[in-house]
Amino acid sequence: MTTSKKIVLLGHFGVGKSSLIRRFVENTFSENYKVTIGVHIFKKVVEVSNSDSISLIIWDLEGQDDIKKTRSSYLLGTNGFIYVFDLSRPITFENLNSELEFLKENFPNIPVKVVGNKMDLVTKLYLKDYSEVFGHLVDFFTSAKTGSRVDNLFSKLAKELL
Amino acid sequence: MNQEERLNIIKDILLTDEREFAASIQKKIKVLENTVNEKDQLSEKISPIIDEKLSEFVKEIPNSLGPTITEALKEEIKNSQDAVVEALFPILGKMVKRCVQHEMKLLSEKINTQLNNTFSFKRFFRSKRSKNKGVNDADLIIQKQSSPKIEQIIFIEKGSGLVLAVYSKEKATDEDMVAGMLTAIKSFIEDAFKKEEQDLQYIEYDHYHIHLQNLSSYYIAVIVSGAYNVLYKDKLEDKLLEFASKIIKPEILKNKEILTKKIKVYFNNDNI
Repeated sequence: MTTSKKIVLLGHFGVGKSSLIRRFVENTFSENYKVTIGVHIFKKVVEVSNSDSISLIIWDLEGQDDIKKTRSSYLLGTNGFIYVFDLSRPITFENLNSELEFLKENFPNIPVKVVGNKMDLVTKLYLKDYSEVFGHLVDFFTSAKTGSRVDNLFSKLAKELL
Repeated sequence: MNQEERLNIIKDILLTDEREFAASIQKKIKVLENTVNEKDQLSEKISPIIDEKLSEFVKEIPNSLGPTITEALKEEIKNSQDAVVEALFPILGKMVKRCVQHEMKLLSEKINTQLNNTFSFKRFFRSKRSKNKGVNDADLIIQKQSSPKIEQIIFIEKGSGLVLAVYSKEKATDEDMVAGMLTAIKSFIEDAFKKEEQDLQYIEYDHYHIHLQNLSSYYIAVIVSGAYNVLYKDKLEDKLLEFASKIIKPEILKNKEILTKKIKVYFNNDNI
């Protein structure tokens, strides 16, 4: 049986939301940055078990430096959030706590996955230095460029939604 | 030899050349006088020069006068737009009208030829109908060709944009993507204008109309091809509202399979 679920990706401009989706849906990556305007919709069916699959309708929203600026109607009826930040740019995760708090308050019981993207651009030492800032909040360290942990992220969320 | 004879001899010696020279000059002046006074002769001399100069001038016009003329024309059109429109409108109107008439005539002739080559019961009944209505066969066919036709019906959950059920005669589009995008567009427009209780009612795309029927927790997107007009819109709205009130129940909305079957039965006939 296939059920459909709405997934919304949030985060600052240029953190790699669209790249993560493209890596997951089309298994492609481009170095050329194309800013997302408004919203872009993607779809991918994920096999969750032998008998069940889940159709992920993924909403790629344009980046916002403050989650409160996101058009609220785009967030209605969301089944799962993915909050993405850029590991190499501290400005994209300096308000991580308050951003996640906003989601928890406004969308209680909706799963949120926190993703530190662009893993390929940072060193282990760098991650260690910042571990106090985001270490306890991050669910996945990914790289849309290399594809590292991208499938795991979406599969984990899909299983939680079933 | 007297004094006078001697003087004459000296004169001859001194003045003979000048006299001949004066005579030759006088002759040339005469020829020039003739050339200037006689039109034919003058034209024979001057025409090649004028022709040459003229062709050079013509060659130079685009470079020397072109920009000035273009600029002047632009300025003139800009300053008298109304007059230009006034002057061009009837001509363009006539041209378009003639073109449309010509194309319609061609289409009509084509259909008539097709009709004449075919004999069928359908044609028999159509002829009867056309006689009753006083409209010719070809016009009836054109009317039929452009009549609205439902291509796809998608029931979409408000907010999430997830598909509740879908019905289409031919699988053409990915309904999940269409539903998502429609919801995003709807949300954006309704949000941007910040008018409560006002909904996006339809979207026009090429020769398709996407009719959007808004209901409480969901909305229905009907993709219609052909001539979607106010009359058809009213009928479609009645039919959708009737379906929503008579058939839709909360438990049916949750069951994609049953809802799809109900839509299929209800909207199988396009003649709304």
